[in-house]
Amino acid sequence: MTIQATGASSGGRWLSGIGVAREERWAAPDTRRLLQLALAGIWLLDAVLQFQSFMFTRGFAQMLGGTAQGNPAVIAGPISWSARLIGQHGTAANAIFAVIQLLIALGIAWRPTIRLALGASIAWALGVWWLGEGLGGILNGAASPVNGAPGAVIIYALLAVLLWPGRPGRPAPFVAGRFTGAALARSLWLVLWGSLAYLALQPATRAPHALSGMISGMASGEPGWLAGVDNHLGAFLGHRGPAAAVVLAVVLAVVAVGVWLPRPAARAVIVLAVVAAAAIWIAEGLGGMLTGGGTDPNSGLLLALLAVAYWPLAGRSPVITQSASPEGA
Amino acid sequence: MAGPSWLAYTFAGVMIITAAYCVSRLVIARRRHRPTDHQVDAVHILMGVAMAGMLVPRLRIFWAGGWEIVFGAAAAWFTWQAIRGLRSQDAIGRGQRHHLQHALACLAMLYMFLAAASASRAVAAGSAMSGMAGGAAHFPTLALVLAFALLGYVVWTTDRLPSLAPVAAFAAPGVPVPVLTGAAASSSTAGDTSGSTLPAGDHAPAGRGWGPPVSPRLAACCEIAMGVTMGYALILML
Repeated sequence: MTIQATGASSGGRWLSGIGVAREERWAAPDTRRLLQLALAGIWLLDAVLQFQSFMFTRGFAQMLGGTAQGNPAVIAGPISWSARLIGQHGTAANAIFAVIQLLIALGIAWRPTIRLALGASIAWALGVWWLGEGLGGILNGAASPVNGAPGAVIIYALLAVLLWPGRPGRPAPFVAGRFTGAALARSLWLVLWGSLAYLALQPATRAPHALSGMISGMASGEPGWLAGVDNHLGAFLGHRGPAAAVVLAVVLAVVAVGVWLPRPAARAVIVLAVVAAAAIWIAEGLGGMLTGGGTDPNSGLLLALLAVAYWPLAGRSPVITQSASPEGA
Repeated sequence: MAGPSWLAYTFAGVMIITAAYCVSRLVIARRRHRPTDHQVDAVHILMGVAMAGMLVPRLRIFWAGGWEIVFGAAAAWFTWQAIRGLRSQDAIGRGQRHHLQHALACLAMLYMFLAAASASRAVAAGSAMSGMAGGAAHFPTLALVLAFALLGYVVWTTDRLPSLAPVAAFAAPGVPVPVLTGAAASSSTAGDTSGSTLPAGDHAPAGRGWGPPVSPRLAACCEIAMGVTMGYALILML
């Protein structure tokens, strides 16, 4: 990438002069912009996954309707209603869903529409979290860090808030704190990872054979290498499930409080968070994307992206000036 | 290739429009003396036609095995160009690095044709053998990795759209165009949205009445459409 907002070379002026390049309106992506682009990429992957054949069948509506089970009536009612509606108009509804996700992805990637797209992504994610994921199962006792709790889609919304453009002059020790401020960003991190630690100690994860069964169950339909990993991991945890759940909870709790530690320790914790997220993603079978029935990459990939946004920045807290900040980022 | 037929026709239509547009780019570039990246436009035409045939079988126009040869050769060519660019020290040579993305797209096409051919052979060999044969030759993880890379490239290209001003297809020639070098030349070529230079053979000679490059922003839009469609096709193969 060679066009820079500040690189007004003579050739660059020529390009602007003939209307080919608009250097004054574009700057190289900074870290926050790169993370926004990564988020856009995941939305785009979601959109393409939504175009899969399975999503146009009644099976998709049944899958959505299944998330109502065990939830309070006030939550389950709208889920069942929307699943019925989608089941009756499966083709049109799914096409609309896929196009919305495609527009969100391209809107985040295209700088002039980033705020609109991030705002839409928050609204869409909250709707899907309720009507499509049953609030991630946190109210029906089925939630576990290994099965995507607290709902992958809510992490999209969280990332959209943390990576929101604006407030360029605000100093922050990590990228995720630039818009909300470091204190609120750390609090959100604590709530998310702390809730994962809590869920790891609940019966859905801690019961004998719960973890093992959950991970082995992900192997179905996966390619050989991933099925092998999940089956071996499931077998290994067969008689060690409760202990493994406690270890997982401790790791997640350390990650939750780690962003308050001094920079070197916080960096180590972020690395631990990325490793934990990668392990969760493998245990989730990469969200079932390789089975032809996955609607998204599930929570592991998003947790890793979130962790990168909390990487402690070197030196003084950066102050991004308006002129140097990429447009819209 | 599975999926709703109306969706396949929609994507195939987008591919045909893209290919037709790239034909028009080459014609305009030749007739109005405007620079473009001929290699990239040409491969986009081939990809558009090939993708349309893959999505809608009745649009297939090539013999079995033909596209594999075409895209294998194209992938090798663009990879070689990119390697030359990576080794090069001068600005024009460095500009060749953007050919990596075209090499990636050609490899994705090659993968899809090989996987489809393998699946067809497996079906022809009988249902008992189909799962085994298809599974052996068709690597879903590779398809997912290629889809990830292509969709990432789509996002990367979209981010650069504001840097590419729309240029009218019939912009008047006669604007003096200096030889493009280094950063100054970035994003001015057809299909090149990653900040590269025109290939050496496509440089507009200064003072010879060459017009501005042919619509860089529309070239980037073609790459976006192609990337999304190829990502869709790869995901269908999982």
